Amino acid sequence: MTTDIKNYKDIDISKITGDKKLPALWHLMHGYHLNFIVANLFTGLAALARTGMYLYLGDFIDRVIQSGIKGSNLFVSALSFGALITLQALSSFISSWMATLTAESATRRLRDYLFDHIQHLPFAYHSEAKTGDLLERATSDVDTIRRFFADQSINMGRILMIFIVSFIAIARINLRLALISIIIMPIVLVISMFFFKSLSRAYEAYQEQGAVLSTNLQENLSGVRVVKAFARQDYEIRKFDQENLKKFKLGKKFVWMHSLFWPLTDILCAAQGIGSNYIAAMMVINDAMTLGQFITFHGLLGWLIWPIRNLGRLIIDTSRTFVSLGRITTILKARQEDMTSASCEPSESIRGDIKFENVSFEYEKAQSVLEDVSFECKAGDVVALLGSTGSGKTSLVNLLPRFYDVTAGKILLDGVNLNEYSRQFLRSQIGVVEQEPFLFSCSIRENITYGVHREVSEEEIIAAAKEAAIHDVILEFKNGYDTLVGERGVTLSGGQKQRVAIARTLLINPRILIMDDSTSSVDMETEVQIRSALENLMANRTTFIIAHRIQSIMNADLILVFDQGKIVQKGVHEELLNQPGIYQDIYEIQARIDSALQEEIDRVNIL
Amino acid sequence: MPCKRKLIVSTYYDENELDDEVHLSKGVFGRLLKLLKKYWILVFCGVASIAFVSWLDAYFTMLNKQIIDDAIVTKNVSLMIRLFGNYSLITLVQLAGFFVMMYSVGLLGEKLRYDLRRDLFNHLQKLSLSYFTKTPLGWIMSRVTSDTEKMADLLTWGITDSIWALTNIGFAVYYMLRLNAQLALIVVLSLPIMIFISFKFRVKIYYHFRRSRKANSKMTASLNENITGVRIVKALLREDQNLKNFKVLSTDMFRESYRAGLLSAIYLPTIQTISAISLVLILWRGGNMVGNSLISVGTLQAFISYIMFILWPIQDLARVYAEMQNAVASSERVFSLLETKPEIVDRSEIIPTNSLVGNVEFENVSFHYETDEPVIRNLSFKIPQGQKVALVGTTGGGKTTIVNLLCRFYEPSEGTIRIAGQDYLNYSLEDIQSRIGVVLQIPHLFSGSIRDNLRYGRLDANDEEIEEAARLAGAHEFISKFENGYDSNVGEGGNQLSVGQKQLISIARALLANPNIFIMDEATSSVDTLTEALIQKGMHQLMSGRTSFIIAHRLSTIKSADQIFVIEDGQIAESGNHQELIRKRGLYYNLYTKQFRHDLESRLDPFSPTDAVESPA
Repeated sequence: MTTDIKNYKDIDISKITGDKKLPALWHLMHGYHLNFIVANLFTGLAALARTGMYLYLGDFIDRVIQSGIKGSNLFVSALSFGALITLQALSSFISSWMATLTAESATRRLRDYLFDHIQHLPFAYHSEAKTGDLLERATSDVDTIRRFFADQSINMGRILMIFIVSFIAIARINLRLALISIIIMPIVLVISMFFFKSLSRAYEAYQEQGAVLSTNLQENLSGVRVVKAFARQDYEIRKFDQENLKKFKLGKKFVWMHSLFWPLTDILCAAQGIGSNYIAAMMVINDAMTLGQFITFHGLLGWLIWPIRNLGRLIIDTSRTFVSLGRITTILKARQEDMTSASCEPSESIRGDIKFENVSFEYEKAQSVLEDVSFECKAGDVVALLGSTGSGKTSLVNLLPRFYDVTAGKILLDGVNLNEYSRQFLRSQIGVVEQEPFLFSCSIRENITYGVHREVSEEEIIAAAKEAAIHDVILEFKNGYDTLVGERGVTLSGGQKQRVAIARTLLINPRILIMDDSTSSVDMETEVQIRSALENLMANRTTFIIAHRIQSIMNADLILVFDQGKIVQKGVHEELLNQPGIYQDIYEIQARIDSALQEEIDRVNIL
Repeated sequence: MPCKRKLIVSTYYDENELDDEVHLSKGVFGRLLKLLKKYWILVFCGVASIAFVSWLDAYFTMLNKQIIDDAIVTKNVSLMIRLFGNYSLITLVQLAGFFVMMYSVGLLGEKLRYDLRRDLFNHLQKLSLSYFTKTPLGWIMSRVTSDTEKMADLLTWGITDSIWALTNIGFAVYYMLRLNAQLALIVVLSLPIMIFISFKFRVKIYYHFRRSRKANSKMTASLNENITGVRIVKALLREDQNLKNFKVLSTDMFRESYRAGLLSAIYLPTIQTISAISLVLILWRGGNMVGNSLISVGTLQAFISYIMFILWPIQDLARVYAEMQNAVASSERVFSLLETKPEIVDRSEIIPTNSLVGNVEFENVSFHYETDEPVIRNLSFKIPQGQKVALVGTTGGGKTTIVNLLCRFYEPSEGTIRIAGQDYLNYSLEDIQSRIGVVLQIPHLFSGSIRDNLRYGRLDANDEEIEEAARLAGAHEFISKFENGYDSNVGEGGNQLSVGQKQLISIARALLANPNIFIMDEATSSVDTLTEALIQKGMHQLMSGRTSFIIAHRLSTIKSADQIFVIEDGQIAESGNHQELIRKRGLYYNLYTKQFRHDLESRLDPFSPTDAVESPA
């Protein structure tokens, strides 16, 4: 069995993203073309064998009637008939097998390709795209394509093949009869296409109402406290019943159309069958045809008429495949991030000296996010970024791992322009700790070692967890480090997630650290723990802190205060403290809080 | 003729329910059949018409035999015309029968789905809150959406296909026996073998099919996670590793669907080959018989047709058999949900009331969830009518449980709660809950218009009353700024509105309900100062004249309370008003000063993110 899977990099995107759909589908089968061709050839062989079967049967009957064969001759004849059936069965098997192999292999490769492609799309793409939409395309649209390979493409060939072979066989008996037998075909084809189109439309409406019903149910369940608090059970029941009834009615309509379609087309097909059979029977009576030929004809006629009805459905399904392919290629057309190309490839870790020279950045043309930003820091320095939401802090740190590239100016890392390093290298040197990091649904241990590209011993993991002040929390879970994140009942708070990320970053041991330090939602106790964890982490690394409060940045080597994409204040704590400006204002808040609190307490005591 | 007419209506397969092997209890089939009782006419029409159609399917072969033997061979034109006339007529009758079958079975399916969904939903409304905290939402959803589908499929197409198949096989065997017992024996002997092999194959195919669905949902989950966490993936250079992990999943998927596909590819040809053996025997023996004029040509042809056609009912039977187990498991789950008893129900004797105005009293109330440690220990207090109580304390101390007990979402394990002088167990749940107004920490809105959401508080409120409530709650201003005003859509779960706006709406909603007792779980998230002021004003409106319990986070709320309870470990650790407790310099003092600093800090911090009132997108 050739189940080895071709590398997903075999696909040449440019051949898929073109305007022509069929060549694109053909190219998606790259590497399995032979299988596909074999599948279709054997479909043809099966059709031939089946037709041969009927021809042989007619011949057999004619000879039996004329007492042409008897005894062992008869047995051999019967056996050859069995051999034809077996040949037909074997060919069908090979055909279906090859079709499955082609479809499953090609879609598996497409899935892998899409997965990898999506994760390599740049940040700019992901910030625009909707997760649900991407997911839909990478799953159900891919499945539509799979069905095309496994089903429609083969069956279309099969039906055409059967039709052609059967037609030729009948035509060889009697051409006029053959032509008469297909009069109804175009009508059946057109009707079935029309019907399947409206049927699938009705079915979609039915499914959509199902989604409405689900949403209704979900809101009811998640709002169960509100429902109960207002004692609105009866109201909810009525509301659900309305939508439920609507679904029932749509279902009824679909059932009606469905029940109508089959008998209606059946009447046409049956009329054709009966008419042709009648003519053929008359021919036998008039000695224009033998009885054996009639039996052959009778058998083949079924294979001429009925498949056509399914052809209509296949054509409609295929048009869906094209739509799905289009939806997939729009993803594939997006350019991946270049991870590796570099003109500067240091063999060791970087030092961590960073210099921004007149850096400007915009996500969209003429919408400046950072404007003319210049500053410099040495390896091991702590740089604090202050500023309101949207002032450019996050955009600035996103430039360092080259999540985005500068629009103007340059960033120097150890004196070399950042663009000369590969993204891969840069990201291996930079650690990021977000405010509330995303944890993956694997064990806590795996989350801690996530992205640590080396073997890590249990001791190391525990040491890192201790340093990040998360070890004790982890031990409180029943399964300790093996606890699955997101499992029922296991929820980590934002602060705890952050500490898991800190433990991870300690293990990665990057030269540059980017940290989001907004601890506003954590209570006091954990804040102290996080602070010590952060201090452990920051030691000996060039650190960028996105800060929201002054305590965490008083010791910074450089403080940058941002406003609307520009640096409005720059310096160390002591300098900024003596400058009128935002920094001073913030600092004074602390003092004001203390006095306000005292006042408040005093007021109580006086009363 | 190999035409399986049924377009698969439902191809919804539940991916989450693959692991449970349910032991089938006998009662399920009885209960399933009971569901059909109501629709006996449809069931009768369906069963009768499918049996009829199936019989005719077998009969056509006999008619063909007649045409060959009696008309064609004997060259009897007038008989032939009559026979073809019969053929046409019977075809029409069969199509009519087929239509009746399709429609009645289809309709029956829709009716069953509707009933099942309704029954489940209605039952869910009766269940107590504890059920919903114990049971994952997705689990319940699958019961209502996919299990009902599977049940209906089993009861309609499962039964129909079986009847069609069994009738067809039965009549075919009957006709064959009538035509020639010796030849029929050959076919009859091969039947069990074909059926046995079919069942084996189908079960195996279905097994792999289900596993491929499971692999598929894992793959989707992995992709979903990778897209959601793409930032981390990139920052940590996990692309290669993640692709490797994904490939393991996509290989699983490949393996299972390939196996299912391969087995399907082997299955039909295998059956065909087995039937080829009986065909060879029939041709040999039958050919001899024709040669010796023991049977007619038409008879031989009829046997060939029967053998070739009988593959279809066998396949159908095997498919139904393979899928049945899963459908029965679905039914068991649905029935078990329908049997779940609500934990909190009205007592048999109820004192009807239309007012809960009066004192609220907890007397030695203890509470524990199931067998766990007590969450509330021996709690006693008495709140005079109209007082405001602030509940403060650390998370997990028991504040929420007190509120849940008060709403009678749960009932005390020990002790008594009295409202207006009566043990509240003597009231009906409806009377209590419709007179207690609740504003939750995370306000829950239903998709629909703002007006619909407000009206949730009082269903018969007219537009003026709704607007009045919104004005009192301070929500009118932002609502009227929307293009569609009160008819603006709030989006799914209210996601078109900000948290602050949702709170204002839920306050207005509670105001409209005009409750006797008001309970609020204050939000911890910060909203902008303007909205905050509006919320405070709205709350003030709600609290005035009503006994109020607030799980408080805002200092102003706490300070204005008549009584403050510091709840620790399910008990009242400190109680009194603000002044008294501050002077005490105990737990409350610490909590208060901490909160004070925090509040002021975030209020003064020019960079703190605020949740501004904005118009819906």
